[in-house]
Amino acid sequence: MIVIKCFFLALAVLSTGVLSTGTALGKNSELNAPLAIDALSGKQALLKMTQAMQSLNYQGTVAFLRNGKLEPMKYFHAAHDGVEQERLLSLNSPLREVIRDAGKVSCLYKATQQLVVDHRPFERSFLVDLPNNLDELDAVYSIAVIGEEEIAMLPAYVIAIMPKDQLRYARKIWLDQRQFLPLKVVVYALADGVVLDEALEQLVFTDLEVTGIQPFVDVKKPDPGNPAQDIYKLQAQSPDQAGFIAARLPQGFKEIFFTRRPMHNSGEPVDHLLLSDGLASVSIYMEHKNNAGQSEPSLSKNVQSVGAVNFFSRTLGDFELTVMGEVPAETVKLIAEGITLRHGGD
Amino acid sequence: MNKALNQKISQFLDDDLDAGDALDLLQKMQWDADAANTLNRYEAISHALKTNEFLAVSPDFAAKIAEQIQQEPFYLLPGRRPATVSRHKLLALAASVAVIAVLAMRGVNNQAGHTQQPSGLQVAQQPSVQPAKVAAYTRQPAQLQEQYPLNKRINDYLQAHNNSVYTNGGADFAPLTSVTAYRQK
Repeated sequence: MIVIKCFFLALAVLSTGVLSTGTALGKNSELNAPLAIDALSGKQALLKMTQAMQSLNYQGTVAFLRNGKLEPMKYFHAAHDGVEQERLLSLNSPLREVIRDAGKVSCLYKATQQLVVDHRPFERSFLVDLPNNLDELDAVYSIAVIGEEEIAMLPAYVIAIMPKDQLRYARKIWLDQRQFLPLKVVVYALADGVVLDEALEQLVFTDLEVTGIQPFVDVKKPDPGNPAQDIYKLQAQSPDQAGFIAARLPQGFKEIFFTRRPMHNSGEPVDHLLLSDGLASVSIYMEHKNNAGQSEPSLSKNVQSVGAVNFFSRTLGDFELTVMGEVPAETVKLIAEGITLRHGGD
Repeated sequence: MNKALNQKISQFLDDDLDAGDALDLLQKMQWDADAANTLNRYEAISHALKTNEFLAVSPDFAAKIAEQIQQEPFYLLPGRRPATVSRHKLLALAASVAVIAVLAMRGVNNQAGHTQQPSGLQVAQQPSVQPAKVAAYTRQPAQLQEQYPLNKRINDYLQAHNNSVYTNGGADFAPLTSVTAYRQK
């Protein structure tokens, strides 16, 4: 009997040792070990997501659903020594290859061999952009892990990002439990504080794999006979130089970027102020009425929308003002109606 | 592989499938290798028939197909015709397909008048073609700009605002975003 007791005691001690070892291994490879929902806060999950998105090499097929149109694309992300490159290949017409290197997006159209170079220093990803400091979202969003589902046959955590007011949209992000890469991102509208079922826009991976290495692809050099269309070569300027003042901004929105540059293939300048609450962004454009061209009366009376993006225009003195963003209609209208000319004349 | 699935794949390549069905189809591709192969095959056929890009076909193309068909297993099921007849028919069919493909490509290349250089676009598969709607946009950009000056302005704003213009389906945009297509020269 004593022998048997000693045997079970020894077994228990050994088991404890094995379990301890397992725990230690788990800590060392925590990025690869799925966590229990209770042990993971929404912000922790999003932090892991941003780290994974920046540091891993991965590729897959992603479908963008915006404005009622589905756009399936091949997606590649390369990372090496802190340098990243994103690449998209469209699967349907118009065929194009889009490459993001740091603050520059190059888009090569297959049919025309036209290369468009777009300077976008304020964005980091085609998938989802979050601020470096997620605490910035606390004032206006609640973030929580609300469940587990499977996307692209991969187990995923479901992260809900709920706005604390009616002036922005709700979002859900499905994160791969192993790598914490986003598998699906959906934007929802709210009605009376309730999230509507229908998605305003979404992206979803149908397959996603982490690869050991991912090559950096050189952007095709422009053909001298077909030079690159270099658009929006931005020079960041102080927002104080804007010809307007946005006096009524919803809580959390901050000035991110201001530039004055020519648009519409004309030399006339357009003021562009980009605002963000960390998740949603809003642009304010102001240009001279003569430059803005023919105006449609209905545009200045109603908020228009393209998918999740709403925009609202109004005339301010001699200027045409447009506020545009992936926020509800009342938000763009609120911001637009609070704008005044910096030097009077309204 | 059923006919309905093939039909959906064909619609998907023609951009005629609605968003929900297209998403379902893409997900199905992940576990249905036959469906994925059919997609690749249709893509190649579509490419051969609709583009003016040259596809090099090796001289023993037909022979290789015939050889592969011969290696396919066949089953002596009751009620079926003798296997030798079927194999002959398959060989004839394979040879016909090869001849048609070669003739079609020659015809397209003759129409173009020259052999196009391989593109710089690094695609995993051979690309499909620009649909007629997009071609119409690119033919007369000036006219469209005059027709939709407001849309152009808004589209310029959208392009400056976020990167969604690069990930939007461009073939059949609503009027407000269709201008994205004629940003190309």
